[in-house]
Amino acid sequence: MSELFVVGISWRTAPVAVREQLAFRDEELVGTLQAMTTELPVAEALLVSTCNRVEVYGVSTPGADPTGPVRTFLARQRGLAPSAMADVLYDHRGSSAVRHVFSVASALDSLVLGEAQILGQLKAAYSVAGEAGTSGPVLGRCLERAFGVAKRVRTETAIARGAANVSTVAVDLAKRVFGDLTGKSVLVIGAGKMSRLAARHLYSSGAHRIVVTNRSPDKAEALAAEIDGIAQPWDDLERLLVEADVVISSTGARQPILTRALFKRVTKARRWRQLVVIDIAVPRDAEPQIGDFDGVYVFDIDDLEKVVAANLAERAKAAEHAGRIVEHEAGQFEHWLRTQSVVPTIRALRERFARVADVELQKSLDQLARREHTPAQQREVMQRLVQLVVNKLLHQPTAALREAPPDEAGLRAEILCQLFDLSPGTGDEPREAQPALDREIAEPAPERKAVT
Amino acid sequence: MTPATERLLSVSASPAFWAAVVAYAAATAALLVVLAGHHKLRPLALVLVGIAFAAHGTDIGWRGTQHVHPAQSVREALGFLAFIITGGYLLASARYRLTVGGAAVMPVALVMLVVARLTPAGTAPEDLSTLGKIHISLATVGVGVFALASALSMIYLIEERALRRKRFDTVAFKDNGAPLEALDRLSHRLIWVGFPIFTVALVLGAIWVSKLGESLDRPEYPLAAVTWMFYAALLVVRQAYGWRGRRAARLTLAGFAAALLVLVIYLVRRMAGG
Repeated sequence: MSELFVVGISWRTAPVAVREQLAFRDEELVGTLQAMTTELPVAEALLVSTCNRVEVYGVSTPGADPTGPVRTFLARQRGLAPSAMADVLYDHRGSSAVRHVFSVASALDSLVLGEAQILGQLKAAYSVAGEAGTSGPVLGRCLERAFGVAKRVRTETAIARGAANVSTVAVDLAKRVFGDLTGKSVLVIGAGKMSRLAARHLYSSGAHRIVVTNRSPDKAEALAAEIDGIAQPWDDLERLLVEADVVISSTGARQPILTRALFKRVTKARRWRQLVVIDIAVPRDAEPQIGDFDGVYVFDIDDLEKVVAANLAERAKAAEHAGRIVEHEAGQFEHWLRTQSVVPTIRALRERFARVADVELQKSLDQLARREHTPAQQREVMQRLVQLVVNKLLHQPTAALREAPPDEAGLRAEILCQLFDLSPGTGDEPREAQPALDREIAEPAPERKAVT
Repeated sequence: MTPATERLLSVSASPAFWAAVVAYAAATAALLVVLAGHHKLRPLALVLVGIAFAAHGTDIGWRGTQHVHPAQSVREALGFLAFIITGGYLLASARYRLTVGGAAVMPVALVMLVVARLTPAGTAPEDLSTLGKIHISLATVGVGVFALASALSMIYLIEERALRRKRFDTVAFKDNGAPLEALDRLSHRLIWVGFPIFTVALVLGAIWVSKLGESLDRPEYPLAAVTWMFYAALLVVRQAYGWRGRRAARLTLAGFAAALLVLVIYLVRRMAGG
């Protein structure tokens, strides 16, 4: 029987220096997938390659264990010795593979718990597999279910709630004070990378007026151009502070820039309008005492990190609930998979029965059509029809049971009992009770000539 | 006994009153459960507040059919005040998440309602003139609006404190309540609404007292004036000096404390039969 499998490497098992060796570029994916399904005992395959994981999700050809060959294949593809990758690659088969795929899609296996980016990457990988022609019914169904599970986990648990990085936390804190950030103005002091990220987040939350100031005007201009802001001279800092609603500060200055003396003037000129100061510089740009002024809220990098940590702790709590959802859904998927494997047998059985019944029915109909029959004769034709069909259908199983090798006869009988819900008596009682039936089973009645 | 006395004492609590009491208590409990982290129960809590509001209104209406005017006495007015506060809270909740505020306001409304209905009526008040009724009605509405503004200011101070002290794990912070700026603005607007009403009530009250020929040396009269002065000052400093936030919130609460004191003195005097 073919089964699902996963072979991969992720941030859990290997540092980026190792992961990057195994990474695939987008344009390599189709070729790799096709090579995998032609060269290896792999019927369906999907390859997801992101900065945090490189994983193959696939379905084996019947009876094969493809995890070993896929491990070797991945290493060889990247020109590495398979033995070198043995410890960092992991694999899952069957139900554990299903659980893994569902967990990954639900961002339970992400570096930042609940970070939904992986879902989009999986969807992209799935469509690439479709393009390569390597995704089939089982993998397709598995992925579709995984996307459904991810959506459930996202809406039913708190896994993606609360900002999980410093710059989104900065936006959240500003929203605590202002609510809607539409129309608010942001002052970016210093041109650090962190302030760029935070400014972008504020911009996308509606704060479209961004002013950048820096000791070196060139850098201010460059950053302003990058984030749709306006560069202003450093000497105007006090005026800029009076006009701003949110300040993001990340200069490399050794001494605080946002001093108590400065804020005494600034807050008065602002008439104590609320001002959120996000100080992500180390050493800090803002003197902590400026937070004592009415309407001024100062958050340094530690405060932001603290919120991130608290939010991640909440997410970890939610992960337990999410795990139960994954478990439940994986169980349902496996049930579907099991029924899938017997579907061809069921279909063949039904077709065989239908064929036998059709043939005999046609014979009887022809016979009835040939001439007028009295009701008694019609009755006889019907009875014979049913008897014939039953005999024909039971002929093969009966023979198979009688001619079974001794070590298998008991098993076959047991399976038949289960399938048809029989409870044969152990003594001679049923034999005596149904002699006619018994004789029938032992010796199928020869086809009688049709009544004319 | 004058007919008025008989009337006042004969009106017993209606079934709607008891329904309101139960709903207020249930709403308080539900809001506390929401605060404890069961956010899914928030709609249920608000529905309970709505039921309490409706039952309370029904009770007031029923008393109306028994010829008890909601502003007939300070005791009646207290129940009416609780009604206004609950209604205001419901309105504000439609826009903001005010779970902390609700958990504080609902028990207060409950206590006010119970005090208004179950305390002994004392001796019957003199038959009220129209002037007196208008005075009590306006004063009740004015104080009700101030009460709402004060509740918002209280929430402002709690949230502001959590934010300033960076207590990110406190209930006030996790509740994800209304933003500070909105609380401040809303409180300010409410005072703008309440102030003229309260002013008219005060003037009518003064005319009424002088008409009755009572002396003006009762402590509640200057206290009412102090309340008025607090809110007048608040409007002035907000407008002229740009006061807002923490200072404005504290001043709002101080003014309301004075208003409450006036109410308490009235009530105690009535119950003592003064």
